[in-house]
Amino acid sequence: MKFAAIKPVSRVLARELAVTALLLLGVSVVVFAILYLAPGDPLNVLLEGQSPRSELALGMREALGVPHTWYGQYAAWFGKMLQGNFGNSIRTGLPVLPELTRVGVNTLTLTLGSLALTLLIAVPIAVHAAAHGDTAGNTAATIVAYVLSAVPVFWFGYIVVYVFIHQFGMFPLISGTAGKQEHAWLYFLVPIFVLGIASGTLSEMIRHLREELSRVLAEDYIRTARAKGAPVWRHAFKEGFLIPVTEIMSAKIPFLLGGAVIVEQVFNWPGMGRMAWQAAQDRDFPVIMGIALAAAAFVRLGNLLQRVVFTAVNPRASRE
Amino acid sequence: MRRYVQTPGRIGEFSELSVRQRAEPLDLVYMGYGLLVVALVVASYLLGAFGWLPHDPQAMNVGLINAVPFTSGHLLGTDFLGRDLQARLILGIQAYFLPGLLAITISVAGGSILGILAGYKGGWFDTIITYFDNLLDSFPRLVLILLVIAAFKPDIYYVMVVVGITGMPVIANLIAGKIAFLRQKSFIEAAHALGLPAHTVVLKHILWLNCRALLVIQATLGMAEAILVETSLSYLGFGVQEPTPSWGNMVQAGANYFLQGNFWPSTAPALAILATILGFQLLGDGLNNLLEGKRRK
Amino acid sequence: MDAPLLAIENLRTYFFSRAKRAFIRSVDGVSLGVARGETLGIVGESGSGKSVTALSAAGLVTAGPGVISGHIHLHSNGARRNLLDGLEKYARVTEQDGRVMAVEKDERGWRKHSETLMAGVRGKEIAMIFQNPRSALNPYSTIGKQLVETIRLHTNFKGENEARERAIHWLERVRIDSPRLRFDNFPFGMSGGMCQRAMIAMALSAEPSLLIADEPTTGLDATIQSRIVDLLAQLKTETGTTTLLISHDISVIQRLSDHIAVMYGGTVVETGRAAEVLAPEAKVRHPYTAALLASIPSADTIRRKSYLQAIEGEVLDTIEVPRGCRFYGRCNRVTEAIRENCAGLEPPLGDVASGHKVRCWLYPAARKA
Repeated sequence: MKFAAIKPVSRVLARELAVTALLLLGVSVVVFAILYLAPGDPLNVLLEGQSPRSELALGMREALGVPHTWYGQYAAWFGKMLQGNFGNSIRTGLPVLPELTRVGVNTLTLTLGSLALTLLIAVPIAVHAAAHGDTAGNTAATIVAYVLSAVPVFWFGYIVVYVFIHQFGMFPLISGTAGKQEHAWLYFLVPIFVLGIASGTLSEMIRHLREELSRVLAEDYIRTARAKGAPVWRHAFKEGFLIPVTEIMSAKIPFLLGGAVIVEQVFNWPGMGRMAWQAAQDRDFPVIMGIALAAAAFVRLGNLLQRVVFTAVNPRASRE
Repeated sequence: MRRYVQTPGRIGEFSELSVRQRAEPLDLVYMGYGLLVVALVVASYLLGAFGWLPHDPQAMNVGLINAVPFTSGHLLGTDFLGRDLQARLILGIQAYFLPGLLAITISVAGGSILGILAGYKGGWFDTIITYFDNLLDSFPRLVLILLVIAAFKPDIYYVMVVVGITGMPVIANLIAGKIAFLRQKSFIEAAHALGLPAHTVVLKHILWLNCRALLVIQATLGMAEAILVETSLSYLGFGVQEPTPSWGNMVQAGANYFLQGNFWPSTAPALAILATILGFQLLGDGLNNLLEGKRRK
Repeated sequence: MDAPLLAIENLRTYFFSRAKRAFIRSVDGVSLGVARGETLGIVGESGSGKSVTALSAAGLVTAGPGVISGHIHLHSNGARRNLLDGLEKYARVTEQDGRVMAVEKDERGWRKHSETLMAGVRGKEIAMIFQNPRSALNPYSTIGKQLVETIRLHTNFKGENEARERAIHWLERVRIDSPRLRFDNFPFGMSGGMCQRAMIAMALSAEPSLLIADEPTTGLDATIQSRIVDLLAQLKTETGTTTLLISHDISVIQRLSDHIAVMYGGTVVETGRAAEVLAPEAKVRHPYTAALLASIPSADTIRRKSYLQAIEGEVLDTIEVPRGCRFYGRCNRVTEAIRENCAGLEPPLGDVASGHKVRCWLYPAARKA
């Protein structure tokens, strides 16, 4: 990229940033709407910072400074969030945001790790299929991928746990003591392995990558590259590999986050997913709301990164 | 080694080939399996709905726990309380069948409306609907569902409404894409030139004639998603509660026994989930390749 | 006579229509030769197999079954090699009634083998330019970088800077304005004509023995077309590169070719020196060639106020290849005396004069090619 290109590129990026911000705003509206419509008036919990008490009279609420119009409540709620105040967990009484950041890292590791693993499996199959067409090998691999994508991830988790107990004599549960045992790092890999294989996104990943690469390999400019004796992969890389990979990664993050909720249950992994489950059980609104917002923010961040890569690679995009 | 053989005699037209000849053999296998699964599911749903079960799904037989299939009259064995698994699996379909239909109905109906507005009307509609689609896609479905469960109640129908709504963007996109394609072929212009009223163009020409395959395929895939959601939720404890069987809660209930070496009570429902989701997926993908796919050499 | 630089012998390139369960006989027994330093122009309608012939020579046919038989001899730098050497090992052809009805081909094996054969040839000995130059260039890379890639791969200018200078030199030679600025342009920012110039520069910068130009003017505006033809004519005199030119536009062929081959339905129907084949009052000519010439306006037809004649019928569908002469269905010069032959037997490509061959029953005195 030449320096002369930076200005128009940053223009495009600014637009992407604005779109992302707008979407995050929409996300907050959706979450707010759910809370607003929910029976039991959960919003007051958030706005007062106390346990819900439905007997609270309207007058007392006003006295406490809680607005009674929906937009007023939205503004108050949004304002609190901007200050970092996501309310306190009903169950534990602890402030939500710090708790989220504490466990969020674990979920992030799990999600990104399994994304990487799924890619690691999908890429060779997709590339081989695009380059060589349907062979016995990659057809079999595709069928296996289909099956793996339909396997219930929780059951698969149990199989892996069982193998670990009986093969390795370890019980891959994450707890305070696990970190002090031998091979502690292995414990972290197991949930990643389970989610990476059985997240349900494998066959679609293979399909998308293969289709895109096949399409690019059939393009005129690849024929020119062949005709001039240049290495094809060098020319096909940007459009046939880099962009599809970032596209599918960004698209599948929501699915992996959902899978993480389940996997964290199986392994008692201290992440946002397990916290969400607990919150749903306890109807702990501040927590679940915070998680929903955090998850959506993460998804949008992934999408933004993908758009950045696309703009950086595509000469047309930066010169609109 | 590839063998190319020209049929001796007259060379026919593509349209003369039967469906069986036109399709890739693998796609036929996929679809065959898928149809089999759908048939089984529907049949089992009806059996369960009318209560025509081989055994009482709640009857415990402590003397026959964790039995393997084909043990004394239990076709699929028994679980850790001696309850007949076949009956419980059949009954488990109740948990997702109707809710799943609700979800796909919402997706297809809502998605079609959005897609048509975005594609046919275009302009501002397109921008707003694209925004709306991206908005919905921002949430991991399970997280959104947990939020709804926390806010309202763990009712599977509420959940399926959410599933239905989150399934709309995909369909809206596909339909808008189809419309763009038809527009490019001047199809829509021609219809207008013929003086056809808008609702006819939309309902008959766009949706029925051009999009029905797409919608059937998405409905099939949507059912697979709905089953995934329901089983995951009941695994997590938010769906049907014990002792009512749901495939998800059956796996969860058998978890401890699994880790002790009694695999079957958890595995039977897990395999049912696997086989069923796979069936709907393969049917959808097979149909997609057959009806909407590009020709591959 | 000096051996031709490129000699194609009995090339057959088939594709397969899964829909119709039949072979598409794109190139059905084509033999051509390109003399050193000369330009051979292949002319014909779409579907005649001329592009596929070129692609076969460059080893760029990927669809199955592809090249199934023949020899392609490249005589350059003192070495003589068959670019289809060893094909028999990978392709087995079954014929019935003189017609290919089944092909068994180890495609992966042949592709690997072909890649090895073509390794030092593609880009270096044989360079190719295509139609639709904008889509033929990598949209994600500047034309400068793409030129430099060729130069560094195939010439002695290996260093980044010297390759760059060389690239700019070539951009100048193809008459691109402000070559230093254009160096950093992406294809989408350039006009079709400029992209084609860049592609020509890229091909010639490797100083190949053979240049294959596949419809270089198709897809460009009419005025730009003639400019590109001018450029090619100039470069021809400047570099003397042996060229295989393919076009459906007979005026382009006329302008640039020393020899001409007319193709129809996957076979060569006439070949000879350009002056002879295109001579306005030629006595011996294939009916298809005659029809082609009569269907385009020229100073001659305008002067004589003759009508433009469209060729009746449709282009031969190379799936249903007829038994007799392939042009029989559209020919307007069939006589009763030869009708039986035309309908039932394919005429051989025979000599009608020194270096001039025609495939037509009207000239049976021709010796077999």
